[in-house]
Amino acid sequence: MKDITKLTDEKIVELVCKKDKELYSQIIKRYQDKLIRYANYLVGEDNYAADIVQESFIKAYINLNGFNTKKKFSSWIYRIVHNEAMNSISKQKKHIPLYKDIDFDSGINLEEDLIKKELKLHANNCLQQMQKIYSEPLALYFLEEKSYGEISDILRIPVGTVGTRINRAKVIMQKICQK
Amino acid sequence: MSKIKKLNKNKAKLDMEKVVMGKIKSDEIKMKPKWLFVLGSTFIMAGLVGLTVGAIFLTNLTIFIIKKRGPGYGRLDLMLNSFPIWIPILAVLGVILGIWMLKKYDFSYKKNFVLIILSFIASVIIAGLLVDQLGLNTIWSHQGPMRMFYQQFQSPQDNSQKVRENGRLYNIHGNGY
Repeated sequence: MKDITKLTDEKIVELVCKKDKELYSQIIKRYQDKLIRYANYLVGEDNYAADIVQESFIKAYINLNGFNTKKKFSSWIYRIVHNEAMNSISKQKKHIPLYKDIDFDSGINLEEDLIKKELKLHANNCLQQMQKIYSEPLALYFLEEKSYGEISDILRIPVGTVGTRINRAKVIMQKICQK
Repeated sequence: MSKIKKLNKNKAKLDMEKVVMGKIKSDEIKMKPKWLFVLGSTFIMAGLVGLTVGAIFLTNLTIFIIKKRGPGYGRLDLMLNSFPIWIPILAVLGVILGIWMLKKYDFSYKKNFVLIILSFIASVIIAGLLVDQLGLNTIWSHQGPMRMFYQQFQSPQDNSQKVRENGRLYNIHGNGY
């Protein structure tokens, strides 16, 4: 068998569905950091975010046969986390401060990317004050480095709307940050 | 980040993999079978096709009734009383169900939703008018399995037939007299 680390997510999903369900651990390894960070943007708390991601991995596994392997797996799993976070927030019906105490650890050496992280941390304060419809695409684009197409897939909005929201978010952010 | 926080986070990550894989290995969680998703998609498509055909038919029938009984049909309250309100209600319910299905399931998420709804309504009305213009209503009201259904919406004069007998013109009504 090929080296599993070289396989695409979609290929691994195909193998999980057809042959070896234990390969799902590879998916978890690849995505848990990114997804916890993303869930953190949405709920603002590490443990809460981890619970959401764990539940998302379970839901994703249960519905894995419904995933179209011709599409991008990352967008699909991000979408599940988004839905799970939104459902969880509305169930709790309490306001969770967004973007509070966020860790932007991406697994990359801190020294290498210090300036970028400083920028990210500075941006975090401004993001806290924005509406979620603007802050979420902005965070996905700048902090998660997702393309417009991927953001469109994750948030289920047209690519044009992603662009509009990001542009508007930039203006709002500029105003907020300059205060 | 503090060391303790980082350690806790790493532990949470390890636990997550362990917990999820533990549930998978012990069959506590199972994948839904592929056929379930195929069947679901088939139902959705069949439902949408059915809704579209139904909506076109109901729109067409509404046009048919308006043409037959028309704006000059009795007093307003009489017209409202006899108007089959269930037709537009059913059509609106159909559209609402369609919207709900489109929102619930994924296949149109990247489309302009307002445009889809407007296009759907416009195409249903156009198709309804087209069916009427092609004279299909007249054909269906006189023959085929839909004849009885159509005739209940026709006025008594329409149910009568003009018959020429011995050089004189007679009106033969639906009851034969």
